[in-house]
Amino acid sequence: MSTETQDGDDLEDRVANFLRRNFPQIQMHGGSAAIQDLDRETGEVSIALGGACSGCGISPMTIQAIKSRMVKEIPEIEKVNATTGMDGGDDMGGGMSPSFPGETVDDDGSADEGPEAPF
Amino acid sequence: MADFDPEKFEDKYANYFPELQQAYKNAFNRMNDQYDSQLVHAIDQQVLNESEPFYEGDGEFRVELPEDPYDRVTGVLVEEDRFEEVLEIHVEEIERELQRVFGFA
Repeated sequence: MSTETQDGDDLEDRVANFLRRNFPQIQMHGGSAAIQDLDRETGEVSIALGGACSGCGISPMTIQAIKSRMVKEIPEIEKVNATTGMDGGDDMGGGMSPSFPGETVDDDGSADEGPEAPF
Repeated sequence: MADFDPEKFEDKYANYFPELQQAYKNAFNRMNDQYDSQLVHAIDQQVLNESEPFYEGDGEFRVELPEDPYDRVTGVLVEEDRFEEVLEIHVEEIERELQRVFGFA
């Protein structure tokens, strides 16, 4: 029950799932990763790490890993812009909720696989 | 201590992500304890987010930085000389931590 005609949403879901699956520590540490913009024409996606990630000493490495791996593992993605809330300094303030836009939460209560392996 | 394989380091973000995170985090924590926290955070978030570690051989690592790191930093008032000094120390800490995490030191 996926795909159908909404390719854009499908790609966004895949990006969100990629982040959730490969970087569970973002959520485990009280952070969040939000897809701010996704351009299907250019394959460019912008992701903002927020919450606890904003001042965390491991977020630079996390950003680099997201950039490096996403373009390899999702062929449609050509370029990843990823930032933390430190750049502007005036947003991300209350973004503590670890959620991904595009994430489909089934209402049967099973939040599919939980995060695994703390780093 | 991780078994280190230089070939696997080519795909470091897939193969050694936890170790890399640990090294960066250890370096960050030590810098944050010893230097101006605001500057250390700015370096961490605005410069090191474009850095990339490489294995040089013989147990040595090198962290490559983006161009013009001083120009990347916003929201912190610091003279360029001081910035360069703290950044250099931070990079050395990361390189040392990489050696430690991968069992070379």
